[in-house]
Amino acid sequence: MTHRRGVLTSIAAALTIIPMAAASAAPAAGGADYTKLEQKYQLLEKQMAGMAKQMSAMQKQQAALKATQAKTGATKTKAIDREVKRLYRRVVKASQKISELEPGNIQVLIAGDVNFQFQNIQGSHSTFYADSSPMIQVRIDKNIFINTAFDFYTQAGVAGGSAADIGAANINYELNNYMTLGGGLVTSPIGGIVGVYNPAPWNRWLVDGSVEDALLPGNELGVWTRGGLPAPARMGYLTYFLFVSNGPALARTTDQNGATYNNLQFGNWDPAAQNGKTIGGRFSYIPIPNIEIGYSFEWARPSADGAITTTNSLINAVDLNSYYVNKKIDGLFRFRGGWTWDQVGQGIDSTGTFSLGGMSNGGQLEVAYQPSLCGIKYLDRVMAAIRYDRIDGPVSSNFSNGASHEQRYSIGLDYWLHSNAVLKVEYEFDNLSNNMHGNNAMFLQFAVGI
Amino acid sequence: MTFITNKMTKSLAITAVAVGFLFIAGCAANKSTKTAAATSKPAVWPLTLKDPATTESGAQIWAENCMRCHELRSPSQYTPAQWGIIVQYMRLKAGLTGTQAKKVLAFLQSASAH
Repeated sequence: MTHRRGVLTSIAAALTIIPMAAASAAPAAGGADYTKLEQKYQLLEKQMAGMAKQMSAMQKQQAALKATQAKTGATKTKAIDREVKRLYRRVVKASQKISELEPGNIQVLIAGDVNFQFQNIQGSHSTFYADSSPMIQVRIDKNIFINTAFDFYTQAGVAGGSAADIGAANINYELNNYMTLGGGLVTSPIGGIVGVYNPAPWNRWLVDGSVEDALLPGNELGVWTRGGLPAPARMGYLTYFLFVSNGPALARTTDQNGATYNNLQFGNWDPAAQNGKTIGGRFSYIPIPNIEIGYSFEWARPSADGAITTTNSLINAVDLNSYYVNKKIDGLFRFRGGWTWDQVGQGIDSTGTFSLGGMSNGGQLEVAYQPSLCGIKYLDRVMAAIRYDRIDGPVSSNFSNGASHEQRYSIGLDYWLHSNAVLKVEYEFDNLSNNMHGNNAMFLQFAVGI
Repeated sequence: MTFITNKMTKSLAITAVAVGFLFIAGCAANKSTKTAAATSKPAVWPLTLKDPATTESGAQIWAENCMRCHELRSPSQYTPAQWGIIVQYMRLKAGLTGTQAKKVLAFLQSASAH
């Protein structure tokens, strides 16, 4: 009954506050409108008071009945229980109606991130680069949430030297404690890197990613269900994100030796270019808050390419995200890693079934350390980060020279001005198979999360 | 590729069942929270999931879980109303349960207001 009493107290408080707020807003509202609003409040207030009274009486009756349950019989107690529950639901609904009438209940927030960087990549001229990604987030009520994100950035070779993308446009409905339903354009959870724990430049330890650009979908356009739930026996939490979305297209490339490779092209939502739908998702287990282990998959029938009428593709990915903070190590240690394997399987054309032979793998390991508890001014804001990443398969323009894989070693130093503002310097060693050198690169970046 | 199709069909069936279970369990858990006093029976998994968040403080959930993915943002960076929007978004991103999100929000709003 404590919870019910709490609800009733909240309702009583709301009933006291809301008319005061409405009264203070009276001069701004039209006279007739305000009178109507006031009448509505008064009516609701009366209804609520009546119901609260009735419920209180029923609760007393229920307590008395329970005390003499043996004499009165279980059937009668159950009937009272049902009536109390019914009244409780009516009270909750009425309180929701009142909160919907409260001024300013739709809330809007502009968030996002901005960054600029200087980059010097071997084989290219050095250049400055800027990127701004505002997000507009709207809370319609306690259940409905809208997220829209854009990305504006400088780009060579386009009119005006800049380009814009839409990063998110989705509506979410919180169904219950463990499940949210949604639809629209959303960051893909596949691989965990982008959609879960590494969303924006200010939150990346190193500037230049590779696996997420080459092997993983950036966004999903479709419908989904996602949420978290406690693991059995109170052993941590499980999370899930399942979706049906527009699938990738099949991209065929031919190298200098004339070999044809097949890989997946994401983010092309033109119905003329693809008609296959994807089913995918990510599950993760969080045994303790410091560790998250994820598995994701995405299965699709990529769109037809030329004579190929049917094919299947399957992406699998595993990821690990963890941190350890302790005075013994004078600060914070972070570790993130993941591995993805994409398979484009058999194709069917007029001559029958044949193997497309498309298989791409890739992954990365990132380690970072920040002596945040060392007590030395300025040093406690410095983070050192190292990353190894590797891609196998026909997924990079570098591979046009016949290389079968690319691996990179990156080292970087970050200086955290705030929890959401960071200066970074990074150097990247790029190697291709057959002992060929890739394009080593240097980056300087200032990134801020809003 | 037939093997993938068969495997995927099985996976989809299992997934559909799992989602259905979550829907039912979630609704059951919601109901059990609302009527906790009326139903004195202990919660038994899987019919009603016992959320560890019920015994954790909002500050604890905030400090331990947010840190996993990004640096902790100070409660004073946003107003209580803004935290309402941010926590609703982060519930989605981090896969928090409703109970966890509510506790984190209560903590952040309280800390922000002071």
